[in-house]
Amino acid sequence: MALLEVTDVASGYGEVQILWGASLKLYRGQLTTLVGSNGVGKTTLLRTVMGLLRPWQGTIVFDGQDLTRAPAHARAKAGLVLVPEGRQLFTDMTVLENLEMGAFSPRARAHFQENLDKVFALFPRLAERRGQKSGLMSGGEQQMLAVARGLMAQPELLIIDELSLGLSPLLALTLFESLTQLKKSGLTMLLVEQNVSLALAVSDYAYVMAEGRVVMEGEARALLKNDDIRRTYLGVAH
Amino acid sequence: MFGQLLSSLADGLLLGFVYGLAAMGLSLIWGVMTVINLAHGPVIALGMFTAYLLFTQAGVNPYLALLPVAVLGMALGLVIYGAAVHRVLNAPHLSTLLATFAVNMIIIGVGTAVFTTSPHNIDFSLGSFSLGPLTVPFTRVVAAFAALAATALLYLFLYFTRPGKAIRAVANNRMAAELMGISSTTMLALSFGLGTLLACLAGGLIATFFPFTILSGGPYELKSFVICVLGGLGNPLGALLGGLLLGGLEGLVPAFMPVSWVPVVEFGLFVLVLLLRPQGLLGAK
Repeated sequence: MALLEVTDVASGYGEVQILWGASLKLYRGQLTTLVGSNGVGKTTLLRTVMGLLRPWQGTIVFDGQDLTRAPAHARAKAGLVLVPEGRQLFTDMTVLENLEMGAFSPRARAHFQENLDKVFALFPRLAERRGQKSGLMSGGEQQMLAVARGLMAQPELLIIDELSLGLSPLLALTLFESLTQLKKSGLTMLLVEQNVSLALAVSDYAYVMAEGRVVMEGEARALLKNDDIRRTYLGVAH
Repeated sequence: MFGQLLSSLADGLLLGFVYGLAAMGLSLIWGVMTVINLAHGPVIALGMFTAYLLFTQAGVNPYLALLPVAVLGMALGLVIYGAAVHRVLNAPHLSTLLATFAVNMIIIGVGTAVFTTSPHNIDFSLGSFSLGPLTVPFTRVVAAFAALAATALLYLFLYFTRPGKAIRAVANNRMAAELMGISSTTMLALSFGLGTLLACLAGGLIATFFPFTILSGGPYELKSFVICVLGGLGNPLGALLGGLLLGGLEGLVPAFMPVSWVPVVEFGLFVLVLLLRPQGLLGAK
């Protein structure tokens, strides 16, 4: 059974429809990437999955629970966790406070110390800066904190929107290495990533979106060799 | 002359603590949800009348009455939030202004019907003490300490408890808080409740030394605006300092000009600060 099953979801902002029936399935232990050009509705799909936008039609089932109408905070409590684009840290709060807020839900609270040790091992920099106000850190450190805060929520599924945006190639690579470590530990993840080649290289499976729908899916390795994908998203000319 | 000035300054400063407490409620609500609560004044007045009723009807010591006053303040805030604020929270500011103004009118209307607008007072005194040229009523001193204690408790709550931190998280980034499993609605309601609780407490304290009517909250609401601007709007702890500043000013001004000039000076300062330092005199950025 799929951990997350999104079926025929439509949504948008005000009168403007962005999603026109998007569907996807994510399985436990897999790292999946959602690929698509700017403006095809990737972020809108994530916002709808997370409950920040109301779906106009379709269903969202997570871990056997129908969460289609559930508020965002209820989804986080169920283990569906998003690391949002632009980090969205609590910039007036310290690193440690951000991590505490990540572990706000009761199921995450029970694993607080264990998860804290884990994220500090994964990002030792955060351990050094635990008392610092998060808004004053560098972009790379902030992105680490955003991922770490998501991990503190004891996610069943961690969705990461634009992990590498605005980071140096080296930092992006470092963060992707952390993702492969997390994958080895058995975490289920969904990436939305502008750096498509990097994302596909670490992923098991991928979905391709265009015009508010999922138009293609397959093994990440196979998509990496697909000519259409290479031309459209990887900038490889033929 | 000097003795008079000193005594007037001490008076003002002690009162300043209570001003700060009242402003703290307004500032907290603004800081968490960018709503200006125009029902702030009547809520202060309800704090006064709650203490009054408990004292006159049940003989409860006005300081002991602060506990039920606080509980009522929280409950009142939750009701106002649910009834008038929640639905218009994301609408333009004018909607929340009008909604809270409507609550303001309702409380004043009902209050006038029940209590009339003739002054009430709590006939209660702790005596006073003299210190050189100063004569200070003990009620003022207790009120100042109570305000200080409430500020300290608010600080401890916001910085050292889970719900307090969650309130700060919601104030900082409501969407991110939701994504972390924090119900923003619960935290917003709780902060509104805390804001009105502080206002009611301030009212309860003021009632121990000034006579009051249901309209008496108005001036404190206006002072709260000035204080919030001095202390940095949205910074509840800066409100205490802003309160002291304003109280001190109120103590000093009458030594140099007629008392009726006090509001002119206060609001002149208000406009000046808004023009020159809109983040507040003590606010960061």
